[in-house]
Amino acid sequence: MSIVEVQALRKQYEPPKGVLAVDDVSFAIERGEIFSLLGPNGAGKSTTISMLSCLLRPSGGDALVDGHSVVANAQAVKSVIGVVPQDIAVYPDMTARENLVFWGRMYGLAGAELKGRVDEVLELISLVDRQNDRVDRFSGGMKRRVNIGVALLHKPRVLYLDEPTVGIDPQSRRSILDGILALRDQGMTVLYTTHYMAEAQELSDRIGIVDHGKMIALGTHAELVRIVGEEARVDVTVDKALDGMVERWAALSGVSSASVEEDHAELLVEDANEVLPRLFEEAAAGGSRITAVSVSEPNLELVFLHLTGRALRE
Amino acid sequence: MTKIWAISWKDLRSTMRNVPALAMMLLAPLALAGLLGFAFGGGDTFQIAATKVALANADVRPAAAAGEAAPPLAGDTFAGILTSKDLEDVLDVAKVGSAAKARRRVDDGDAAVAVIVPRDFTAALYGKQGKQTAVELYVNPTQGLGSSITESVVTQALLDFNGARAAATVAAVMAGGTGDHDAAAQAAAARFLQDGGASRGLVLSDREPLASGGDEGDKVAPVGLILAGMMVFFMFFGASNVARTILTEDAAGTLPRMLTTPTSTGTILGGKFSSVFLTVTVQTVVLLVAGRILFGIDWGSLDAVTLLTLVGAAVASGLALLIIAVVRTPGQAGAIGAGVYLVLALLGGNFTGTASTSGVYATVQKLTPNGWLLLGWDVAMHGGDLADVASKLVVPLVFAVVFFAVAVLRFRRRYA
Repeated sequence: MSIVEVQALRKQYEPPKGVLAVDDVSFAIERGEIFSLLGPNGAGKSTTISMLSCLLRPSGGDALVDGHSVVANAQAVKSVIGVVPQDIAVYPDMTARENLVFWGRMYGLAGAELKGRVDEVLELISLVDRQNDRVDRFSGGMKRRVNIGVALLHKPRVLYLDEPTVGIDPQSRRSILDGILALRDQGMTVLYTTHYMAEAQELSDRIGIVDHGKMIALGTHAELVRIVGEEARVDVTVDKALDGMVERWAALSGVSSASVEEDHAELLVEDANEVLPRLFEEAAAGGSRITAVSVSEPNLELVFLHLTGRALRE
Repeated sequence: MTKIWAISWKDLRSTMRNVPALAMMLLAPLALAGLLGFAFGGGDTFQIAATKVALANADVRPAAAAGEAAPPLAGDTFAGILTSKDLEDVLDVAKVGSAAKARRRVDDGDAAVAVIVPRDFTAALYGKQGKQTAVELYVNPTQGLGSSITESVVTQALLDFNGARAAATVAAVMAGGTGDHDAAAQAAAARFLQDGGASRGLVLSDREPLASGGDEGDKVAPVGLILAGMMVFFMFFGASNVARTILTEDAAGTLPRMLTTPTSTGTILGGKFSSVFLTVTVQTVVLLVAGRILFGIDWGSLDAVTLLTLVGAAVASGLALLIIAVVRTPGQAGAIGAGVYLVLALLGGNFTGTASTSGVYATVQKLTPNGWLLLGWDVAMHGGDLADVASKLVVPLVFAVVFFAVAVLRFRRRYA
């Protein structure tokens, strides 16, 4: 049985004419996997997580988290989830330790158990040396670590992270991603929302692509990429007219299709590394010179583009 | 309870680390009370500086009729009234030789008022009915308070003189006397004045004690009532400062985060409500202790003070939470709250330096919870016991309950 089962979840703000932020979304998350919701801003990712966190009441549908309904049994759901919000939500005028102690009490921890768990989390987020410093004196990356640490205090069964790497430096991002992978290796189930394709690709066991409140694709990275085929796209620009060159290139083995798109040629090839040298040879033989070439391996950006007609990061 | 206490303690600690908030809650009321108390003379008794009066007594004794004794000089009696010990705190009288000298003292700023008794003062008092004279007051218009006080004293004295003459006349008629009623009236008036009857009308008497246990000798320092007014007023701001964290935490994300923990909405709101109440209670205790140490204020019996503190904290907390419950942003809370608190303070008498008002204002004052709190503090500081104080706190307690109830309903709807 999946640890999270989302069943036709729906959220409309100010019905009947308000925005339908989540429209009949269904998916399941298996124990111990990292599941990403990938989509542009406004796709409904945060609204979905808010409903799964019991912050927002669904307009329709339900979700079961470790067997507890978010609609009927919110308190039980909250005891098994840890939520890392997108914006840093800790108290800046309190120290790292004071924050963890306070939030630990909110999760029902007390006494020696609370103290021990705070010590463990400080170790986990590498802030033991700064535990008695006020959070408002921390760097952005350190604040993010406290933000994540709070959600781990009570050893949740499912961890929700809502775009945790927005606006932070690459080093801190790397640290967070590594931390999430380590948690997964320890058996944590993670629901991760992002609009960064690279993060979803790197972290996730499975990915759900959302747009305009709907789940438009769901599967592993390989399954999703297969939607657009496994061929790479090669865009080539030459110094002379393209028409003749496109015909020559289309005849090469390893090139499955070639077309003229505005000012460049677009080719689909099986293996870009193998085809590229022959493209250059053929151009030279035809009296043309290649002035620009780009190679796009099949990825989620292409999947999104294929499914919606828009770029993921427009 | 642990979670409620954790939330309360967090907010209290945050407030104690917020220097501007502490300045508003503690320093501002103490500073204002100190300044205003100093302006009113401070110390143990209410003091307005005595009004400097230049007195010119031009009264002359009229010629006596044959066979009759000359009447006593009413001007001297009148001067005696103005220079009596009863009035020495109010009037600082200097006798001068002439009306011109008296007026000159006012013109030179050496006196606020010149009182000029006319030459025919005695003649008018003892003479034929219908003869009129007037005591002149030459005033410095910039010293309105002093001249008003002097006018009041002089008017009262003249009323007594006139009253004595009227009483004497009535007495002569009732006795069935015949002959010259004026002579009888003169004699009766002379006896009345000689007995100091006129001055009896000018005795300053203390009001009755406000409470059954009150000591009629107790005087409350003005700084005490001023600080009580400021304390109640700034309790509103203290409560508002903490209550506003509900909105700031909502915007900052820590309140929504709290709602994702296995902590019920009721517990979260209870913690927030408790933190407001606790902070205001601490604020009040600090101000009470500071008032005692700095200004020597005797706030009253411990149980009365405790009750006043707790009910005051409940009123301030309830009102602050109600305002937060109906607005959307911390900015709105600040602006609307400040306006509400200021209006209540003006209507409730927080800035008058006294809980005793009269007329329409007294009625309006009792429409506000803070007005009743001030009355309660006034009773406590005048030695009232718990029962006396409690009778003043029923209304504010009802206000507090209503404020809390509406706030809870609104919050439950918002954070359902």
